[in-house]
Amino acid sequence: MSVFSKPPEGARPDFIRVDNFSFHYGEKQAIFNIDMAIPENQVTALIGPSGCGKSTLLRNMNRMNDLVEGVRHEGDIRIGGVSLYDPSIEVISLRKRVGMVFQKYNPFAKSIYENVIFSLRVAGRSKRSELDETVERSLRSAALWDEVKDRLHDSAFGLSGGQQQRLCIARAIANQPEILLMDEPCAALDPLATLKIEQLILSLKKQFTIVIVTHNMEQATRCSDRTAFLYMGRLIEFGETMQIFENPKQKETEAYITGRFS
Amino acid sequence: MDPLPPPDPKRFEVSRGTLLFDRFMGIAIRLGGISVILAVFGIFYFIGKEVVPLFQSAEVKPVGMMHSDVPPAVMGVDEWGKLPFFYNGGDKLVFIQAKDQSRKEVDLPDLNGGQITAFSYDPVHQRVALGLADGQVGSFAVHYQQTYEDGKLSGVDASVEEEPFFQLEHGDGPVTEISYGDSGTGRIIAAKREGSTGSSVSIVQLGMKRSLLGKGKLSLIGETEVSTELPAPASLVRSSQNGAMVLIACENGEVAYFLADSEGVSKRQTFKPFDTAVPRQINFLFGGVSIIVTGSDGEQSQWSLFRKNGEGERLFGETKTFPNLPQGKVLFAGSQRNRSFLTGAGKHLSIRHSTSGAVRWEGETDLDPVAAVLDAKGENFIVAAADGSAERYSIHDPHPDSSWRAFFGKVWYEGGSEPVYQWQSTGGTDDFEPKLSLIPLIFGSLKGTFYALLFSIPVALLAALFSAAFLPPDIKKVVKPTMEIMSSLPSVVLGFLAGLWLAPILENRVPSVLLMLISIPLTALLTGFVWCRLPIQIRNRFEGGREWLVVLPFLALAAWLSWSLGPVIEKIFFVYKDPATGKEIADFRVWWPHATGARFEQRNSLVLGFMMGFAVIPVIFTIAEDALSNVPKSLTAAASALGANRWQVVWTVMLPVASSGIFSALMIGFGRAVGETMIMVMATGNTPVTQWNIFNGMRTLSANIAVELPEASEGSTHYRTLFLGAVVLFAMTFVMNTIAEVLRQRLRERNKLV
Repeated sequence: MSVFSKPPEGARPDFIRVDNFSFHYGEKQAIFNIDMAIPENQVTALIGPSGCGKSTLLRNMNRMNDLVEGVRHEGDIRIGGVSLYDPSIEVISLRKRVGMVFQKYNPFAKSIYENVIFSLRVAGRSKRSELDETVERSLRSAALWDEVKDRLHDSAFGLSGGQQQRLCIARAIANQPEILLMDEPCAALDPLATLKIEQLILSLKKQFTIVIVTHNMEQATRCSDRTAFLYMGRLIEFGETMQIFENPKQKETEAYITGRFS
Repeated sequence: MDPLPPPDPKRFEVSRGTLLFDRFMGIAIRLGGISVILAVFGIFYFIGKEVVPLFQSAEVKPVGMMHSDVPPAVMGVDEWGKLPFFYNGGDKLVFIQAKDQSRKEVDLPDLNGGQITAFSYDPVHQRVALGLADGQVGSFAVHYQQTYEDGKLSGVDASVEEEPFFQLEHGDGPVTEISYGDSGTGRIIAAKREGSTGSSVSIVQLGMKRSLLGKGKLSLIGETEVSTELPAPASLVRSSQNGAMVLIACENGEVAYFLADSEGVSKRQTFKPFDTAVPRQINFLFGGVSIIVTGSDGEQSQWSLFRKNGEGERLFGETKTFPNLPQGKVLFAGSQRNRSFLTGAGKHLSIRHSTSGAVRWEGETDLDPVAAVLDAKGENFIVAAADGSAERYSIHDPHPDSSWRAFFGKVWYEGGSEPVYQWQSTGGTDDFEPKLSLIPLIFGSLKGTFYALLFSIPVALLAALFSAAFLPPDIKKVVKPTMEIMSSLPSVVLGFLAGLWLAPILENRVPSVLLMLISIPLTALLTGFVWCRLPIQIRNRFEGGREWLVVLPFLALAAWLSWSLGPVIEKIFFVYKDPATGKEIADFRVWWPHATGARFEQRNSLVLGFMMGFAVIPVIFTIAEDALSNVPKSLTAAASALGANRWQVVWTVMLPVASSGIFSALMIGFGRAVGETMIMVMATGNTPVTQWNIFNGMRTLSANIAVELPEASEGSTHYRTLFLGAVVLFAMTFVMNTIAEVLRQRLRERNKLV
């Protein structure tokens, strides 16, 4: 299948570097000593049963877990060689580099237009031409432009679930981040909408490094280049998607992908 | 495998217990709901029942005719309206029992053959004044005696007592006009004589020497001839019943006002009640400071004694005009209970009230009346026609002082120099005029609420924002319950603290407080500004909402500095130089009244604002905090993930979504502030003023009810007016809440999720 590809020329193979990373929610340890390198401009899928720590790992990549009470971490995550936990890091600018799409589509109670340019608004940019241009580019990238171009100033809640999720993707890429984190982006969508999002993911990887958490193994095979299997907070296996699904090296991986536990 | 046991055939049935319980709960809940509704309507019914009578006009019913053969010129009646007398200047009074029409004639005392040429009746002292053809003036008193049977009034009898006569020295000819007044310690007789040398008007002052044995002895103090001071010949002479003044209407339509006191009689004023018409009747109202003047064309207006622009001597000025009377003989009978009076002309009769200027009742009588009398209780009046026939009417008017105008309009009260909104429900004397304007109380409620919310809303909302969006969860866990406990503080304790502890402290430290109001927010902003410019490494040490640890010492410093610098500021800016002594006083309490003209009181709106904060802030805080905390985490997370800083998350996402909840919080805070009673009672001084001045107090509707209800007698106008205050309070909050609810729904519609 042509979708699986080597990292493109010049792309850094360890753009995101997870380095002996452990993470605790209060007393409970969610992630145990994970090491992994996520290559630039590829789609990396994190799979594993519920509670395995894949979402936690994802949410650490833009420090969204800071918002949770009583968390602490050991080890490090580096993006482009810079530690996320460096004292000189501004979390806000980090999040501008690392966009995120959530499991449940969550547009703001604003118009489609205002939703897309939210990141520009909070950055204080208000040049009309720039905003218009961003809206069109982002919506086109999110394959939503043709559907909404006539009602950009209508409420975002008028869209269907799949459209709302694509709007959230458009919103996340409006400020052109380097990395796009997707936390089960299709969990709340029907198969047709899922298909559209998957196509979108494939088209977006030219511009972005994408890390996607998914429960749907077929989705992982359909749109990811590399897959990491996490189980009980540990990284069990990480490799090219083809290899993980066709020739898993670990028995837990095999057991999971063949559906013996979930 | 064993075969499965056959399924229980009853497994689809619902147990009787469940069904019974379900039915029982259904009934219980319905009953509960209905009884709540009934209770609310019951309250409305009760309050309505107390208030509605205030707006009912007087009821007048004819109760019977009576006949005397005397065409009456004056009439009098006892307190109960049972035994009227008719008099036309002859030598006897004719009494008619209203009950059985029985007639009784009482001979006048022997006047030594004097011929009566003038007479008048003073219903206050029940005295008929007489002027004789030879220039003698005097009076006799009508005494009513009640007889009681089993504690109930069974009958009234009357007798007549002669009083001394005095010979007028001035003028000649018969006395044609006479009027008598009695102050208790002295008396006054105003009389006009028409003689061959023209007319003269004399004012006779009499002294009353009381002996230890009770009966006093009248003696002549002096007689003053005043006709030279009149602009035109006198047409009407009227002395006030309290013996202090004489008004003389002249043929040119002017009225001269003479004051009689221990220094004699002196003219104070001449005024012209009507443009063209000539006064035909001048009657003093209950209390003796107002007159009703009726003109020759039926005009009727009220003139009262007051100081023009609040300065100088009290002189008469027009305060109200009443609807014109039709043509005919003008009747007048004043109440001795309140400021109502019966007046009329021709067949037309009306009961009017001088405070509100309202017409309480209007009607026609079948007779062509020439005289009217109102009993002292104001429960009956009798009108008599020239043929001696008379009709008796009963009046039911328990609340003459009340009207829309009296409650909500500007009213020109007796003694006031202009129409005002004033609340003063009770006074020291019987002839006190109740001032029942609810406007100062409504104003007080609004003022109290305004100052309470002025202080509470910013603090409560900012605190809620801080707690919901910035504060680390472990501290929030302590802060929120603490605030909730604060809201359970009894307001009587807060009021006590406000009045007896906070007010005396703040009184001496107003400049410090003012300085704090500026310096604390400024310090907070300044610290924030500097903090933003510090390197990220330092800022990251206080991440996650612990920045307040940095701000706190600065705020404490600012507060301490302001507190200590206050007296210094006072010495520089708030210095009042006494023009009399040239001494400079550095005291804000002295400076404020002189600089602004507004009063400074110890218990003022500033104290109230602080203390009401304790009552209102927790309410607003708790609800607003809940609303903000309930903004879905998915939205705040999305905004954070898009690179919004914490303040932007609050501003762009949390506030719009929580706006309807915050609005509710404000409305509940408003409700708490409007209805708050004990703090208002104890911290504000309770003066019903209508000034926004922050350094004086107010009286709110609720405080007014709390203060005055215990002293209002049940069913009285005062009592019902307090209930009306409650209705107004309810209407105010109801209207506000309805508007707020509509706005809130709109906000919610605009910011609803999904």
